[in-house]
Amino acid sequence: MLTIENVSKKFRAGNYGVRDLSLEVKSGVIGLLGPNGAGKTTLMQMIATITRPTSGRILFHGVDVTKRPNELRRKLGYLPQDFGVYDNLTATEFLSYFAALKGVRSKQRVMEMLESVNLHGVANRTVGGFSGGMKQRLGIAQALINDPELVIVDEPTAGLDPEERVRFRNVLSEIGFGKLVILSTHIVSDVESIATEIAVMKNGALLTMATPETMLRVCEGHVWQAVVASEQFDQLRTTLKISSAVRKPDGVHIRFVGPSPEIAATAAEPELEDAFLYLMNFGPTDQPVV
Amino acid sequence: MIASLLRVRAIVGADFRIRFRRVSTVIVFLLLSAFAYVWIPAPSTGRALIQINGQRAIYNSGAIGLGTGSLGMIFVGLFGYYVISNAIRRDVITRCGVVAASTPMRSGEYLLGKFLGNLAFLATFVCGFMLSSMVMLAVRGEARIEPLVFIEQYLLLTPSAIVFVSALAVLFESIPWLAGKLGDVVYFFVWMTVVGLVVGNEASHGSIHWTRCLDFTGFGFMIDQMQRTLQTHSISIGASDFDPTKAPILFPGLSLTREWVLPRLISLLSPLTLLPIAALFFHRFDPVRTRRVSGKGSRNWIGRIQNLFKPLSRRAVAFIMIPSRGGSFVGAIWTDAALTFTLFPLVFVAFVAITVVSLFAPLAAILPIVFAVLALIVSDVATRDARAGTTGSVRSISRLRENYVWWKLGSTCLLSFLLCAAPLIRTVVHGSLALAALICGILFVASTATALGVTTSNPKTFIVGFLTFWYVVVNDHGMNPMLDFAGFDGGASGTTIAVYGSIGVLAIGAGQLFYRVRLART
Repeated sequence: MLTIENVSKKFRAGNYGVRDLSLEVKSGVIGLLGPNGAGKTTLMQMIATITRPTSGRILFHGVDVTKRPNELRRKLGYLPQDFGVYDNLTATEFLSYFAALKGVRSKQRVMEMLESVNLHGVANRTVGGFSGGMKQRLGIAQALINDPELVIVDEPTAGLDPEERVRFRNVLSEIGFGKLVILSTHIVSDVESIATEIAVMKNGALLTMATPETMLRVCEGHVWQAVVASEQFDQLRTTLKISSAVRKPDGVHIRFVGPSPEIAATAAEPELEDAFLYLMNFGPTDQPVV
Repeated sequence: MIASLLRVRAIVGADFRIRFRRVSTVIVFLLLSAFAYVWIPAPSTGRALIQINGQRAIYNSGAIGLGTGSLGMIFVGLFGYYVISNAIRRDVITRCGVVAASTPMRSGEYLLGKFLGNLAFLATFVCGFMLSSMVMLAVRGEARIEPLVFIEQYLLLTPSAIVFVSALAVLFESIPWLAGKLGDVVYFFVWMTVVGLVVGNEASHGSIHWTRCLDFTGFGFMIDQMQRTLQTHSISIGASDFDPTKAPILFPGLSLTREWVLPRLISLLSPLTLLPIAALFFHRFDPVRTRRVSGKGSRNWIGRIQNLFKPLSRRAVAFIMIPSRGGSFVGAIWTDAALTFTLFPLVFVAFVAITVVSLFAPLAAILPIVFAVLALIVSDVATRDARAGTTGSVRSISRLRENYVWWKLGSTCLLSFLLCAAPLIRTVVHGSLALAALICGILFVASTATALGVTTSNPKTFIVGFLTFWYVVVNDHGMNPMLDFAGFDGGASGTTIAVYGSIGVLAIGAGQLFYRVRLART
C-alpha cells in the first residue's frame, strides 16, 4: 500500500531530519518508535504530504504522492503532534469544518464520529473547555471522518492519563483492520499490544522494521536481570543500559540490556521495552536488524 | 466545483464564528461605537463635525453618515488590518492548518476562504457600526433619518477599504518575512502612502487621475465630491470650529458621479489581484516554512535586534529586581514588571529614548508618542500568562491566585511610571493640575490595559481600542478638554481628571469581577 524509497529530508542548516529511509508497508498498525529527534514526525509529515522530501519517493498504491499529493490526501487521515483546536467552536462545528475540507457532506457522519469517540454528549459544547483526552478524541474523529485508507497519528497519547491512553489504543486497534495506521510514539507500551509491525528510527535513519516477535527474538540472550544494593545501583545507572529498576526490601531489582552482563546477572525473557533499548544502544545504524 | 465552494464556505464560516465569539470583538465594537459618539461634537461646544466656509453642516443623514462612515473607514484601514491579520497564523499555532494541509483542500481555496472571512468580518463590523451610528443620529440628529442616504455614504466609502485590507492581510500573512511584526509596520506605511498619494492629488485639484484607482480609502473620492458638491475648498471634517453667526448648511451627502464610477470600481476590484500573488508565496503549513511565522526562536529580525540589547537589559533587570527580593506581593509586582524588560529588551531602549527625548523636546510634542509606545508595551503584561500557558503555574503561587488582577495592575503601573519618569519630572514645573492629569492618564492606560488584558487575553483589544481613542485625542489638539485624558495639550481640567480616574477604577473593577467569576468556575 505504502512504499517509501530512499527518502531524505535535509534542512537549511544542513542537518538531516530523515536520511535515506526506505520501507514498505501494507495494512495493519505500524508502530514508529524512536527517541525524541529521531525523525519520526518529519517522516510522518512527508507521508502526510505536509512537507516535501528533499530526495526520494513516496508511493501510495503505486502513485508518487510527492508529485500528485491529492491522490493520497483524499484517502488520508492525519492527527499531528500537539493537536490544537479552535476554542470558540463547538465539537460539532469543529468536526463539520474538517469534514467539509475533506469533502464529507453528511451531517449524519459528523454525529456518528462524535458518537464513536464518545463525545456526542458534549457535541454542542465549545471545545475550549475540553480536557486533553477529549481534544485528542476529537482529533482522531476528524482524522477518521472521511473513512481514510491511511491513518497517520503522531504521538497521540502524549499528555493523556493512563485510562485515556488505553482507550486510544483500543480505538486505533479497531481501525487497523483493513486500513494502514502509522502510529508514532516514543512510549513502547503504546504499540506493544496493537502494532503488527514496528519500525525503529534513530538519528533520521531506520534501524529496523520487524514484527514485535522478531524484535524480541533478536533481543533474546541480551536481556539481564539482577538485584543490586542501592549504593551500587547509583553507580551502575551510568554504566549499564537499564530498562527498569524496582526498589524492594532486598535491594534494587534491575533489568538491563547488553551483549553480555557486566555484573552477576541472570538472563531474562525480553520485553519490547528491552528490545527497543537494545536496538537504540547496540543495534546497527547502517543496516536494519531483521 | 461544489466541493471547492463547500470548502471555501467552511473556512469562511469557521473564521466568522471564531472571531465573533470572542469577547475582544464585542469590546472593540463597543469602544468604536463610543468613539463615534465622541467623534461628533455637540454644536453647543462651538465645534461641528463638518465645517464648510465657516458654516457648520446640519447633523442629517448625509453629514452623520459621511462622518461616521469616514471613521469606520479609518478604523478599517488603520486598525482593521491588525484585528484580522492573524487568520493564517492562528492555524499555524493551533496546528489545525497542518491538518487542513493534509486534506484535498487547495491552497487557493484556503486563501480565498481566509480573504472572504476577513471581508465578512470587516463588513459585518462596519454594518454593525453603521446601525449604531444610525441610532445615534436618531438621538443627536437635527433631521429625520434617511436610511438610504446614510447607507449610501457607507457604500461609497468603505467597501474598497474593506476589500483592500482583507486582501493585503492575506498577502502579508502568506509571505514569511511579512507575516510578523515587520508586516504590521510595512502595512502602516503602505496605508499612509496610499492615503498621502490620493489626498495629495485631490488637494492639488486631481491632476493625476490614475491615483484615483488607488483610492482604497475613499478619502480622495470624499474630498473631490465634497469640493464639487459644495463648490468650495474650505472644508474640514472632524471636530472643526465654525462661525455661529453663519447659518448652518445642509449637506446632502456624497453621491457617485460618472467620472468616479470606473476609479471606484477599480479600487474595489484591484486588490483581488493580490490573492494569486499570495498563493505563490503561501507555505501550506509546511513546518519548515512556518517556523518563521510562529516566531520561534530568535531567527526573525526583531528577535535578532532584541538579542543585541539583551546584555543591556539584563543589567537593567538586575537593578529593577533589587526590591523584589523577599517574596512579598510587592516583590512579585517588581518581578513581573522586570519580566517585560527580560522578554523584550527593546523596552529598555524605549525607556532610554523616552528619558533622553523628554529632557529636551517640548512635552506637548512627545507625550502623545510616549503614550502610544506605552500602550504597545503595557498591553502585553496582563495577557502574556494566558498566551504563554503559564497561568496555571502563576496561580499556584500564594497570594497571586486571588490577587492576580491587582498584581497585574501593580506591575503595569510600575512599568508605566518607570517609562514615564522623565516626562513626569518635567511636568512638575507645569503645575499640580498638569502633573495630576499626567498621572491620571498613566493610571487610566494601566487600568484599562489590565482590565482588557485579563478579560480578553489579547493585547490587540487594548491596542486597537486605545490607539483609536488616541487618534481622536491627538487630532482634537486640545480643543475639547474632556478628550485631553493625560494633559497632552494642557487642556485637562479637574473634571477631566475625575472622569478618566473614574473610568480607570470602573475598568479595573470590571476586570476584577470578570476574573473572580472565571476563577469560581474553574
